[in-house]
Amino acid sequence: MLWVSVPFLLAGMTFRIFLWFRVPRSEMKLGIFGQKEHRTTKWLKLGKDSFLFPQVLDIDRGMWGFLISFHLAIAVLFIGHLRLIFEFTALAKALGDLGMEQFAFLIGGAIGIILLITVFYFLIRRLTLPGKKISAPEDYFLLILLLLVIFTGNYMRFFGDIPITAYRQYVNSLLSFNPYIPTALDTSVARWSLGIHVMFANMLIFYLPFSKLMHFVGSFATNRIRREYLWVNSYKRL
Amino acid sequence: MGKQLQKTIVDILKKTINRQLYYYLDICTRCSICKNACHQYIMTNDLIYLPAYRAELILRIYRKYLTRTGRFISALNRAREIDEQWLDDLYKVTYSCTGCRRCMYYCPFSIDTSWLLALGKAILVAADKYPPIISEISNASIFKGENMEILKEDIIEGLKEYEKELQEKVDDPSATIPVDLKGADILYVSLPGSYSVLTAASIFHQARANWTLSLYEPANFGYFLGDTEKAAVTAKRIIDEAKRLEVKEIVISECGHGYRVMKWLWDTWSKEENPFKIRCILEVMAEYIKEERIRLNRGQIQKALTYHDPCQLARNSGIYEEPRYILRQIATDFRELTPNREKNWCCGGGGGLQAEPELEDFRLKTGEKKVEQIRNSGAKIVVAPCDNCRLQLEDLNKKYNLDISVYSVMELVADATVISKPVFPISNLD
Amino acid sequence: MEEDIKIDLELDLRGLRCPLPMVRVSENITLVPVGGIVRAVTTDVGSLADITSWANTTGNEIVKKERVGKEIVFLIKRRR
Repeated sequence: MLWVSVPFLLAGMTFRIFLWFRVPRSEMKLGIFGQKEHRTTKWLKLGKDSFLFPQVLDIDRGMWGFLISFHLAIAVLFIGHLRLIFEFTALAKALGDLGMEQFAFLIGGAIGIILLITVFYFLIRRLTLPGKKISAPEDYFLLILLLLVIFTGNYMRFFGDIPITAYRQYVNSLLSFNPYIPTALDTSVARWSLGIHVMFANMLIFYLPFSKLMHFVGSFATNRIRREYLWVNSYKRL
Repeated sequence: MGKQLQKTIVDILKKTINRQLYYYLDICTRCSICKNACHQYIMTNDLIYLPAYRAELILRIYRKYLTRTGRFISALNRAREIDEQWLDDLYKVTYSCTGCRRCMYYCPFSIDTSWLLALGKAILVAADKYPPIISEISNASIFKGENMEILKEDIIEGLKEYEKELQEKVDDPSATIPVDLKGADILYVSLPGSYSVLTAASIFHQARANWTLSLYEPANFGYFLGDTEKAAVTAKRIIDEAKRLEVKEIVISECGHGYRVMKWLWDTWSKEENPFKIRCILEVMAEYIKEERIRLNRGQIQKALTYHDPCQLARNSGIYEEPRYILRQIATDFRELTPNREKNWCCGGGGGLQAEPELEDFRLKTGEKKVEQIRNSGAKIVVAPCDNCRLQLEDLNKKYNLDISVYSVMELVADATVISKPVFPISNLD
Repeated sequence: MEEDIKIDLELDLRGLRCPLPMVRVSENITLVPVGGIVRAVTTDVGSLADITSWANTTGNEIVKKERVGKEIVFLIKRRR
């Protein structure tokens, strides 16, 4: 399934971005005007806007807390899953085999719980006014899909064991287009939950290019508009 | 709803599509964080004034007609057809917005609801559904442009009165208010009324500027109406006048949207190059003060004074520091409103709402955020360089007993310039 | 001369700033029957040209306009 879903994801995203770039940019000057700034500062501010959401912090502190935890957790989660492809040798050496496992359990567990709580909060928030009236089924679908992926992931983390080496072997075999299922994995108690987890994750990957999750690419472009200060007179427009 | 109208609207949708819109379609997550950014939503708690709702109303139509998911699985993203109900909702939503763009500033994705509403207005104009008065004023401005020869006499006659007043006040019988002066450096586009004409005339007179007064006003109701063609024609009157008089630059009076239209919007609408440098009178005054072309009575005002950033001039046009520089010279107790500059609250009177009598209660109700802000600052004088803001602030003052005086920057500068007699004796100053 | 014309509605628009005189006239003209006369007094110099343009584009008629000191008096006939 991974063979299909990942290329599909890439193709889908490229297509979406192609759709964006196919049409001309708005000719209207839509910037929010600020102080005259250096080019670098502008980009730094764009980064700040896109990664730290200072505007949200300003007007909705509670939501900001959940938002930033969720997005940070996603970033850590992404890094954590890289362990399925290769071991972080330096870290593993420093912590030792057992230490590494404990470390992974701690971080992974914490991330799992944070994600569960934050996504649950998003769902509750959406179900309460005023978000409810403007929400569409796709919003709930996405949140529930996320919850399912997180829930099964957590289930594996807390109620099954994770034979990481076997996983890595399996993923690497997939990557080299020569799949085989290691016996450690086949006999693992987490076999079924792993299957379900991977299934939901694949569904998420398939759905991503069609979903509002595209904001993780698009927000850079739109936030750039906000930071596009236009300080020259139109008669000598750049 | 007629098939023909539906087709017209779909054509507009297709014509207005651009990259911005695609971004917005794909990334607005309907997170409703904007609920805390819009003064109208906070004060009324009515869903239709929520920026995300306003945006969603328009995006649903675009989704239906321009995206595959919207066309085939509209149940998923609630894409919808155009119908009468939708047009009614759209009317309520668009012509009540002041276009302050505070929601865009606070949106984590910078979604410009005000721009989306402008697309909505284009649809409503095509469907002949707009506040009649705004259209009437817009048409009157265009008529004025086309029939200036007949109307000119009236205007010049009015200015004669002002000229007498000016000569008396600056104590110089040679002081004039030039009109139609070919080869002047500055074409000053003023709002009618002594607070804008006389004050500027006095300032220009003392700075020994080579200026001429425009026969037109910067106010642009075509812009409020959302009819970019009319708006472009209205603004073009001024550009044509400037070309005819061969001036070097156009200076716009203290008018928020008028400045934004001339500086940032007109060339996009008209697809013409604007050959003139456009400045706001605030920039010009700040320059005169810096170059010491006019001298001010420093610290003339001791009462607590605050400055309200008009949305169209500050957040949407980039003028923040000039008025502050000027006011700090005149006032000893200058206070900032919190928040200020690009985060400032809208006064609630922009977007042509002043001209819509049926929105008066709504306008005053939604101005409460501003009232709160002014009360907290403790200021007794509120300065706002925008006519719509000032009209609104005066109304708020009356309704909420704020006990403030509202002035434009020009009035204060004209009053504080060092000449034998104050141009505008502002009676309630200490 | 003013006495000859029957005035149906008096509007005191003194002190109002542009575009409010125009708005008030437009709002209130419907209160008089077609053919009725509105007498509006303004102090806004801009209204001289504005109200004339407004009347022309809305199809109403300015019967008379005159300056009385700082005031401008309009007699506007509702045409439709």
